[in-house]
Amino acid sequence: MLGLLWARLCGLDNPVRLRRAEATRRVLSLDLNKDRDVERLHENGINTLDIDPVEGRYMLSGGADGIIVLYDLANLTKSPSYTCKAICKVGKSHPDMHKFSVETVQWYPHDTGIFTSSSFDKTLKTWDTNSLQLAEVFHFEGTVYSHHMSPLATKHSLIAVGTKGPKVQLCDLNSGSCSHILQGHRGEVLAVRWSPRYDYILATASADSKVKLWDVRKATGCLMTLDRHNGEKSKSSSETINTAHNGRVNGLCFTSDGLHLLTVGTDDRMRLWNSASGVNTLVNYGKVCNDSRKSVKFTVSEGCSPDFVFVPCDGTIALYTIYSGEKISVLRGHYDNVDCCVFQPQLQELYSGGKDCNVLAWVPAVREPVPDEDSAKSGSNRHLNPAFEDAWSSSEEEG
Amino acid sequence: MAEMDQRLAQLVECLTTSGEPQLNPEQMKELKKICRSSDDHISHMYHLLMTQLNQEHAEIRLSAFQIASELFTRSNHFRTLLISNFQEFLELTVETDYEQPLPPPKEVAQKLKALAIKTVQDWHEKFGEAYKKLSLGYHFLKRNKKVDFQDVRTRTLAEKKREDEKKQRLENIYKEKARKANEEMEEMMDEIHATLTEIESCFKLLLPDPDEFALPMEETGNGDKDVFALPVPAVPCADDDDDEQPCCSKDLAPVTLPNNHSENAAAANLCSKDLQSDESDGDYETRGQAFLRDHGLGSHKYTLSLEIPTDLKVSENENNTDVINNLKDSLKLAKNKYWPAVQSWIQIFTKAGVSDHSLLGAIDLKAKLECALKKQKDIELECKDKKSEAVSASDDDDDFEEVPEKEGYEPRIPDHLREEYGLEPEVPPSPGKKAPAKSLAPCFPLRRKRNNDPLKPTCVAATLKVMKDQLEKRTPSTSSGGGGEPSSRCETQEGELSKAPVVPIGLDLQYWGQEPQTAGKILKVATQHRFWASSEMDEEVESKELEAMLKTRYVSFPGKFEPVTHNCRHPLDNGSLCERQDRYKCPFHGKIIPRDEIGVAINPEDRAREEKQRMEKEAQEQDWRDPELMREIEQATGEDLGSSRYSGKGKRAKRKGKKKYPNLTDLKQKANTSRSRLEKKVFNTGSVKRVISAMNQMDQRRHEKFANQFNYALN
Repeated sequence: MLGLLWARLCGLDNPVRLRRAEATRRVLSLDLNKDRDVERLHENGINTLDIDPVEGRYMLSGGADGIIVLYDLANLTKSPSYTCKAICKVGKSHPDMHKFSVETVQWYPHDTGIFTSSSFDKTLKTWDTNSLQLAEVFHFEGTVYSHHMSPLATKHSLIAVGTKGPKVQLCDLNSGSCSHILQGHRGEVLAVRWSPRYDYILATASADSKVKLWDVRKATGCLMTLDRHNGEKSKSSSETINTAHNGRVNGLCFTSDGLHLLTVGTDDRMRLWNSASGVNTLVNYGKVCNDSRKSVKFTVSEGCSPDFVFVPCDGTIALYTIYSGEKISVLRGHYDNVDCCVFQPQLQELYSGGKDCNVLAWVPAVREPVPDEDSAKSGSNRHLNPAFEDAWSSSEEEG
Repeated sequence: MAEMDQRLAQLVECLTTSGEPQLNPEQMKELKKICRSSDDHISHMYHLLMTQLNQEHAEIRLSAFQIASELFTRSNHFRTLLISNFQEFLELTVETDYEQPLPPPKEVAQKLKALAIKTVQDWHEKFGEAYKKLSLGYHFLKRNKKVDFQDVRTRTLAEKKREDEKKQRLENIYKEKARKANEEMEEMMDEIHATLTEIESCFKLLLPDPDEFALPMEETGNGDKDVFALPVPAVPCADDDDDEQPCCSKDLAPVTLPNNHSENAAAANLCSKDLQSDESDGDYETRGQAFLRDHGLGSHKYTLSLEIPTDLKVSENENNTDVINNLKDSLKLAKNKYWPAVQSWIQIFTKAGVSDHSLLGAIDLKAKLECALKKQKDIELECKDKKSEAVSASDDDDDFEEVPEKEGYEPRIPDHLREEYGLEPEVPPSPGKKAPAKSLAPCFPLRRKRNNDPLKPTCVAATLKVMKDQLEKRTPSTSSGGGGEPSSRCETQEGELSKAPVVPIGLDLQYWGQEPQTAGKILKVATQHRFWASSEMDEEVESKELEAMLKTRYVSFPGKFEPVTHNCRHPLDNGSLCERQDRYKCPFHGKIIPRDEIGVAINPEDRAREEKQRMEKEAQEQDWRDPELMREIEQATGEDLGSSRYSGKGKRAKRKGKKKYPNLTDLKQKANTSRSRLEKKVFNTGSVKRVISAMNQMDQRRHEKFANQFNYALN
């Protein structure tokens, strides 16, 4: 660290390098911290979390009880311990509250004034954050599993919606109506994601084991269907359909640069695809437990080298390097299945929500103070809390 | 190091498999001593404990949990390790996962859970600040699993869920019942109301409502003074006292006022009424004098005591018979049918927790019915005892119907008819004889058309005759016996007779000293046919045996029972002696012979014989029972052929190995219930095969040619 700082000071290093090194270190030291808490407001499991992309300060959470809560993550109290407060919530008293479980919440990518939420009550709602009023409602024929807005598109404001029906719908926020329908899947669409690199590229994952990439300007059909065998085995066998997983595909995530796409399926596998060519990169992540019937929200880190992916895996969150597939660590803290996790790129924090109604904050561990000459003092500092001390009884006989 | 680890493993195994509710303090001390020496030991210990906690036995888990809690409070390293895997720990001890219930035995599991919950709370209080996951776990238990830490019974969510399911099921059943009851009630509501109205109106007819009843009285008392002012009533009333009538009798024509007054009181009653009315008039003085004069009474100093009966009685007469009958019917209906029904509805409704109009309606109905029944009790129908004989049949469901006297039956048979009954004309007055004859006569069911040939033994007359003869025979004998004696002897005899047991008379005694004619004769039927009978149809054959049977009586004398005092005492495999007490022959060991105290036969020839038998048996078995081979077969088939008996040591050692932890509650043994034993028998492959073959045979037979004819079915 000191060396890096020195190199930076002397101008030997690219500024990115120091940042990367420190970010990586912080991500690797993520753990539960007793100083950081998130207020508990949900009575039921938490399905979705989203942190606003502008400031990285506000977090939305959607629960299985239909409640949406808005948290403030920034710690302005100057004391190490901080409980993330809920600023406001769309609770039971709100007239426009979702009737059933909220499946996805997302901030409007360019502003914190709007957010969207979709739910099993077959609606997608757009909210005004400041007044907490309903701005727009889209109704669908089936329950909504997931929706997504393009994080970088400025020319269109389309929301891709995956519902119980096999058609992917595109809703235009400008006109307030469904503008497109993308046909091609045969099962319910569990996850949709816009590419963070190209405005019009959309990836969808479905229960029919297929993952499709679309260019929404192209009317005829999808760009490609991802094939886990890269076309080799399917040629020899009689089946002609390309499947991405051997089971339902219920999670999608682009890497931060948009060059690769990660998918998870109920076959307990995670796969990494080249998003340009649709080639399976055949990275082996091992077994990634996943038996969710709904969509699973997982996330990738930003600005680290190598980059990491955080995947909910039963009651834990597994941390893998994206490109080598190495399992770095497992974050244990939830007492029930984890449904979603979201990464805060500026501070390298991770927030996760699960069926045990907890939102847990995973915070990088602070560096331990360097032991200086006054070692006795530091020793006593380290064991400030008596709970961390051994409490063997003094007499040898008692044990 | 390795030694210590090994020792740790040993200690953990020892402690966890002890099956005791408390840990052995000495072993625990040793364990702690090892653990405190280094963190490596604690890691090792942690893994050992987790494996033990994963065992499917509540006692092992309990002990392991106790060790863990001991170490948890002491070692930071152990805390860190345990809390890093706290989810699994809770699953294994507090049963947080509905799918993973705690293993049997149940009581220990309950104890484990209670202890674990309590301990987790303690830990949270002590260390919750420092270990985030611990407090998370605590809150998880508290909020998500709804563990009530104050609750002593500590029911977790899983348990609650099960209970709720049960409750739900019961509730559904109750609801269904309530719904049915509601339907039923709606159906019967009209009927009940109709009956109630009927009862009500019947009562009204029989006895006007007190309110209504009082009204005319008041009127007559206050308004219509003239009625009493008239001198008319007093004079004529004096003589028809048996049917005294109140002034307003015209209002209740069919009903006489309930009254128990003595007859002369009745007359006075009237006067008193007049008196009262006079008093009410106010100008009593003048009118009183006149009254005195009019009625010829001496003074005013008569005291009249009125007995006003509280119970109302309605006497039945031909005017109100129909009303009363009707009332009775409907009351019976209300009492026997409606009231219990309503009662059960109310019960069902209260159980189901229904508290809407249906329950209210039911309660209302019940009140009404009870009111009606109470009224019936109040108005004790006088007619009841009057008519009890006539009505009893319909009234109180007697088993026997009263039959009107039969024409033919006469308790006292007139002399000229006696012949007809097959009786001798009675010897006129002799009173000593008459009594028994008279008392006997009604005992016999008399039927005219009976074949009363005195020769036929079964007819009444014959028996009577026999008895009479005996009586006659006896009287001279007693009289000849002695003058003063017989009375005392009779007394003693009577005393003995009263003590003597009553024995039913057998056929032999019945015909004692007679020559029954029909007995012992068999009607010989030559042909089975009904009408193609030969002419000499009624041929009778006398059978000596049958006749003898009727005349002889067997009294069996089995002698006195002597219990067997000796035992078989044949030496058994387990070293003891056979305890069977058979008289001559033991079913297992043959003839019982005298043996010494260790079971060896005393007689040398017996001993030789037994030895020989044993040798033969052994030889026989050994040549085909190769224990090795048998064990192999046993392993392959999984059936016990009994190789253990012959192989001796090897197998026994194995068995011991199987039962590793003798202190733990054997979970498999728990299954040794009557049900499981029966299952073992019933689902035994052999018996199943047998049943299958039998059923197959039956099935096959069904397709055969004459399957439905019984004489083919039996072969």
